[in-house]
This record gives sequence, structure tokens and C-alpha cells, in this order.
Amino acid sequence: MKDLNRLIRYLAYTLELLVLFMVQETPGLLPAVAGVRPVLLLPAAVAIAMFEEEVPALAFGIVAGLLCDFGFSRVLGFHALVLGALCFFVSLLVRTRMQANLVTAALNGAWALALTLGAQWLFFYYFRYSQPGFAFRSHYLPKYLYTLLFIPLLYLLNRGLSGALDPAEK
Amino acid sequence: MNEFLKGSSFKVLVIAVVVLLGLLIYTASAGGSLIASLLGFVSSPMQSVATEITGNVTEFLDIDGLTKGELKELVGSLQEENSALLDRLVEYDSVLRENQQLKTQLHISQEAPEIEMRSASVIGRDPNDVFYGFSINAGTLAGISTGDPVITSRGLVGIVVQASATTSKVNCLLSEDVEVSAISIDKQEVGVVRGNVTMASSGLLRLGFLSSETKLEPGDIITTSGVGGVYPPKLKIGQVQSIEKSETDVSRYAVLKPFEDLSEVREVQVITSFPGQGEDENVVELDPGQDNQEDAE
Repeated sequence: MKDLNRLIRYLAYTLELLVLFMVQETPGLLPAVAGVRPVLLLPAAVAIAMFEEEVPALAFGIVAGLLCDFGFSRVLGFHALVLGALCFFVSLLVRTRMQANLVTAALNGAWALALTLGAQWLFFYYFRYSQPGFAFRSHYLPKYLYTLLFIPLLYLLNRGLSGALDPAEK
Repeated sequence: MNEFLKGSSFKVLVIAVVVLLGLLIYTASAGGSLIASLLGFVSSPMQSVATEITGNVTEFLDIDGLTKGELKELVGSLQEENSALLDRLVEYDSVLRENQQLKTQLHISQEAPEIEMRSASVIGRDPNDVFYGFSINAGTLAGISTGDPVITSRGLVGIVVQASATTSKVNCLLSEDVEVSAISIDKQEVGVVRGNVTMASSGLLRLGFLSSETKLEPGDIITTSGVGGVYPPKLKIGQVQSIEKSETDVSRYAVLKPFEDLSEVREVQVITSFPGQGEDENVVELDPGQDNQEDAE
């Protein structure tokens, strides 16, 4: 029963990530604010990591990252690496140092998103194109703020999923 | 800390990091088309359906609908433009007739150029792309390959930068990675169209390398010149909005407004073959550092 619950939960997470990938990639589905759209997979991976142990958190971080890589660049592995490692540490933090609640979700989301989008700006923009400062202000910062708005929603969604499909473990 | 470092979860993390670094290096060097093709086979049908549904809902709700005032204004400007175009059409007809007569007299025959195209729909726009690149639902199985120009009925929109089996990634004309040799059809002045992030955020393009005595003026139409063999000639790009002085030297550049709204394109055509494709690939060579320096300043 315990294993079945876990399997169903993992399937639900995978489905959630796939649906969010579709939503963030589909043109015209999410409204652009200040010319940018949110990257839903990032807060989703962080929210999942808050309810899972380190290794599953790492795995779902990698899945979310690979989807990001597939949608964005010709290089697979960058987002998978960053998100995988971040989710691992988010999970570790929540298990050893903090509780899982809306405030810690916002805090974890804020630093994890800042690191991911900061690394993206550095490696995919700063070393390749001109006017990195303008790009940071006009694209990366609004995108960061817009994506942050989805953390509470995705935290509550994953708390629901985790709660409903984890009774035996608790 | 020691306990954590010796734990199995830390070992899994290290293995995952090593594997992902390997994947990163492999796809960066080999292009990763096999992995991208596999992912494309899974995601492409779902993305197509999602895009179709979104398009239908948007159309049904008429979100992009215009107000009465906006429609009146639009009709007014279109009537003005139509009148100007009719004047030009009369002139064009007489020139065409004269041209045909001269060709007949001089026994010049010209074969119609053959351009092969494939239709495709935009199925993905990644929010991480600063320059509005997009994915289309056609790939190598439809005859599309890297470097194929992408157009709509309104003009050039980009170039295919990665083609997997069922999907392709397109770099938009607004991208700094895209350079197009262009010409003004009226003044016959040539330049290079290239985007940058400032202009991309306003949906505009920069036609650089114009002389200080350029005769271009607002309203002039810019098309591809065909030089370099990357794009066929005479593809519409945009209309000159203003002429500006370069920040670093005496040259000037034109700010272009593309005919197509590049951030909202939904249906495209990919030119898979055209006369002169791949010829003179080294004719247009830019020093990327020059433009970057210019922009940075």
C-alpha cells in the first residue's frame, strides 16, 4: 500500500510537470506581463522537493530541468543540473532545518528561483549577447517576479497531492 | 556533515551531477539531436493539441477584438494606404508592360524561380527565450533542415536553428544570432539587419552598416538582398521607422518595424529550397565584436 501510494504520487508529480510544461510553452495561454511569461516548472520542482526525500527531489528536479532544457535551448542538461542540485538541497533543508509551510515555501522558492534564473542569465545571456544589464532588468527580473507569484499556488497543489497520496507513510 | 557526505543520497547526487555534466558536454558538442528527437516525439503531439485548443478558445472569446473607435481608425489608415498603393500599382503596371515589351524585343526569357515551402504551426514559445524564438510542428521528416528561412505571408520571421524529427526550433529575426543581408527596394541601399535586446523588447529591428549619406527615409520598404545564399532575395522584412546615427562612428542605422508581429506568429512557412541556396555563404561576414562593442557603449 505504501509503495503503491508512492508510485501514484510520483506519477502525479510527473503528470503535473508535463502539464505545466505544456502550459508554459503554449503560445497565448499565459498572459505576458511586461513582455515576459512565467517559468512554471521552476516553482513546481521546488514545491515537490519540499515534500519528498532528497533522492526523489533530485529526480523530479532533473525531470523539470530536462523539460526546461528541451523547451529553451539546444543544450540539454543545464537546467537539469541546476534544478536537480537545488531540489536536493531544498529537500535536505526542509527535512533538517525548517518546516514545510507557505512561508518557507516562499523563502525556498525565492532563493532557488534567483539562483536558477541568475545562472541562466550568466551562462545563456551574459557571455553571448550585448546589453546584459538591460536584459536583466527588462527580462530576467520581471520573469523572476512573475514566476514567484506561482509559488503559493504550486505549494498548495503539491501539499494536497502529497497529503492525499501519503497517508501510509505518515 | 561527515554523516551526510558518507550517506547514499549524497553519492546519488554526485553521480547525477557527473551524468548531467556528461549530457551537457555531449549535447553542446554533438547537438543532441537524437535526444531532442525522442523528446520531440513525446511532446510535439501534446503541444500541437494545446496550441490548437488555445487558438480556438482565443478566437471564440474574441480576446483580440477591437473597439469601434480602433476599427474606425484602422479603416481610415488602411484606406489611405490603399490609395497610395493604387497609385503605385498604376505606375507598376506600366513599367511591367514596358519591361515585357523590351524582353520580347530582346528575346530574353526567364524561368520562374522555384521555391519549395512547407507549412507549419507554432507549437511552443519558451518563456526563457529573450528573443521570442519558437518551436514548430515540423522537422526533418517534413524535409526541414537547419538554416532554412521561415516566413509568413507578411514577410521573413526567422531561421531554423535546430531540426529534429518532428519539431524544429526557430530563431526569430529579433535575435542577435540572426543576421540578414538586406536591401531597400526603392533606394537600392544595402545593409545588415540584426536584432538586439533593446529593440527586441519593442519588436523592432536594426538595419546597420548604412553610409552617413544614406538616402533611406521613414516608410521605405526593406527586403532580403539574397546575398550570401542564406535567404532568397525579395523577402519582405520591414519598413523604415527612423534613421539614427551610430553610437561609435559616422555610419548610420535604420530602425525597422517588421511587417509581421514577430512575438505573436502562429502559422509559418519554411522555405526548404530556393535557387541560389548556400551560394556565396561567406559574402556577408560581420565582426561580432564590433556590434557588441557598439551596443555595450
